[in-house]
Amino acid sequence: MKSHVKRREFLNLLAAFGGTGAALTAGATLNLLPSASRANSLSLSSPNPNKKSVVILGGGLSGLTVAHELTKKGYECSILEASHRCGGRIFTVRHGDLIDEIGNPQVCDFDDEPHMYFNAGAARIPSSHKNILKYCKELGVDLEVFINENKSAYVQDDKMLSGSRIRNIDFTTNMRGFMAELMAKALTHEELNQPFSDSEAESLLSSIRSFGDLKENDLYEGSFRAGYKSGGFLKHGVQKDMIAFRDLLKSRLGRQLLSANEGDTGPILMQPVGGMDKIISGFLSQVGDRVKYRAVVNSVEVLDSGVKVTYDHDGARHSLDADYCFNCIPTHLMVGITNNFPDEYKTAMKYVRRGDAYKAAFQAKSRFWEDQEIYGGISWSDSPSRQIWYPSHGIHKPKGILLGAYDYGGGIFHTKMSQNDRIEAHLSDAEKLHPDFRSNVEKPITVAWHRMNHMLGCSARWQRSFSAGWTHEEEKLYETLRAPVNNRHFFIGDQISMHSAWQESAVMSAQWALTTMDAQVRHEMA
Amino acid sequence: MKNQIKRAIPKQIRRSALFLMLSLTASICLSASNEVVDNKYCTTCHGSDGRGNEAIQAPILAGMEDWYLVRQLENYRGNIRGFHPSDERGIAMQAMAKNLSDEDIIDLVQWIKTWEYSPPDTTVTGDKTEGEKLYASCAACHGENADGNETLGAPPLAYQNDWYLVTQLKNFLNGYRGTHESDTFGQQMVAMARPLKDDSGIRNVVAYITSLRSK
Repeated sequence: MKSHVKRREFLNLLAAFGGTGAALTAGATLNLLPSASRANSLSLSSPNPNKKSVVILGGGLSGLTVAHELTKKGYECSILEASHRCGGRIFTVRHGDLIDEIGNPQVCDFDDEPHMYFNAGAARIPSSHKNILKYCKELGVDLEVFINENKSAYVQDDKMLSGSRIRNIDFTTNMRGFMAELMAKALTHEELNQPFSDSEAESLLSSIRSFGDLKENDLYEGSFRAGYKSGGFLKHGVQKDMIAFRDLLKSRLGRQLLSANEGDTGPILMQPVGGMDKIISGFLSQVGDRVKYRAVVNSVEVLDSGVKVTYDHDGARHSLDADYCFNCIPTHLMVGITNNFPDEYKTAMKYVRRGDAYKAAFQAKSRFWEDQEIYGGISWSDSPSRQIWYPSHGIHKPKGILLGAYDYGGGIFHTKMSQNDRIEAHLSDAEKLHPDFRSNVEKPITVAWHRMNHMLGCSARWQRSFSAGWTHEEEKLYETLRAPVNNRHFFIGDQISMHSAWQESAVMSAQWALTTMDAQVRHEMA
Repeated sequence: MKNQIKRAIPKQIRRSALFLMLSLTASICLSASNEVVDNKYCTTCHGSDGRGNEAIQAPILAGMEDWYLVRQLENYRGNIRGFHPSDERGIAMQAMAKNLSDEDIIDLVQWIKTWEYSPPDTTVTGDKTEGEKLYASCAACHGENADGNETLGAPPLAYQNDWYLVTQLKNFLNGYRGTHESDTFGQQMVAMARPLKDDSGIRNVVAYITSLRSK
């Protein structure tokens, strides 16, 4: 138990967050909120009758977007997909599905029911991602709300509270309370009071008190916001004990827990009913007959009048000529595919690093988490497995699919392991959050994107340093790759965006390339 | 190297090897899936017709000697190579190789032999004069023109990706490769690589080795 916080601790805290000056600088920009904009509206012209053929390399989301839009306008599109499926990193794993990891092929053995699936790649659609949402609407893809943050889910860190799990709400309520107490104290101090007028200071203090649920003396003494120790309905609720600030500070998970509803995960999040690949199914309902599966591109030659592509299919090498080419093959794979791109493109292709995100899932024999007041959302752990996701769908059904690990980058810790070692690592990590996890789950699958056949990576990594942001050189390389080659070849995909890993970026990249191509078509037709 | 392979494999077999590969390589139809899985993963990492991919750090396979390919696949399979926790690429290769049968390895090598060799780009610069001095001790096994010696178990070097040669020399020096008790050739390489000492020595000798390509 700890009643209040020393002023020195707060000053340290301020320094950690950049200090008052930084906060004021940020505050000055608050009136610059971007206005809500609408989804892009493409108005492509009809094709030149003599230049109607388009080859699309890769049946990922950006490739299918291009195929869909151009087919609507009368272009003749061919899609060459190297693997047995379209969608790329939009990959919903269900009963009978092959996970084509090099050296570790797996077949999913989940129960064959509509809600028993796992989105191994893209899993969330923010309401601000208007362009992908527009296609969901156009293609009849039903959506449901995805629960991302769940205050009832758990937080666990070996360094905190002897490794005991606590509820997210206990962590965040206490953390906010102590932070608010520190801020309130600081605000009453003359030095820090100086930048504010009386009414501003009062407004700020009121917000701070509300933020942390402070008592009238501006001290944090626990809060009913964390729920009740007992009672609360037919009897008075009894407040939970506080968790000491110092104990919470032993974990660094606060960085994620306090920002779970910020950035791309700030808006309401959604998922397609039945799996993220319903989006791919929607596109394939329009252009599925244009796809050639297990067609592995061997070479890409950009010519004055078009593009020549060779590919291997059914044990033979084929050649295909087209007027235009849209290419969503990962750039790190294109480096190894014979091409005649200018040197600056090759340099840029080599610069982009492949992402190494990793996910694993288990079939749960029962939805045991729902007995613990957890419906959807994420439990956080300091272990290498990092997260457990509880399905937002299939609530109260007998079984469900749990995400048992999500390492979103920064190494290939699990990827390097054998399948058995991966699974044991996840079971062991998950037992810290759910002691009975091991006996409650079965039929594990792992998806190591760094090893997935025909992809060898998750989302593209342009920046060498996230903290430093994009360098000028990186921006130049990016502009190089997104510029068409000879007005015939266009790189597309979330890799050709400044915000990779989101479906919105893949769609917008495709739209940008289409608009660029359309300008060329209009110019030639004029 | 290309000519050696042409000598080693009759033209007719080279032409039909792709067909052989498709027909011979053990295919697994995993239960509950309609998709067939085989071992033809090579080009995903090693690029079109095995010409290498610098972005993946997967070296050129086209034109490599069959005896060397077989030995390395067996080494990966047997945890003689690709075992060190820091050898990220070797670990990835071992994951692919560990399930191969002897027949699979023969089939894969037959497939690889169907690919035409074309010289890779030069990416490593160094002092070739200094490199030539360093190469003197290498030549005893790998040949004056770095075109290999099967009898001594020394592969050709001149035709390989230069960045791959750099990586492997560092792997030998760092203990990532050549430390397994069964890796006789690798142990020799660890000893032979020691005089290179540092990055500049490695770059110099590699720059010299790739300059031998035209000889």
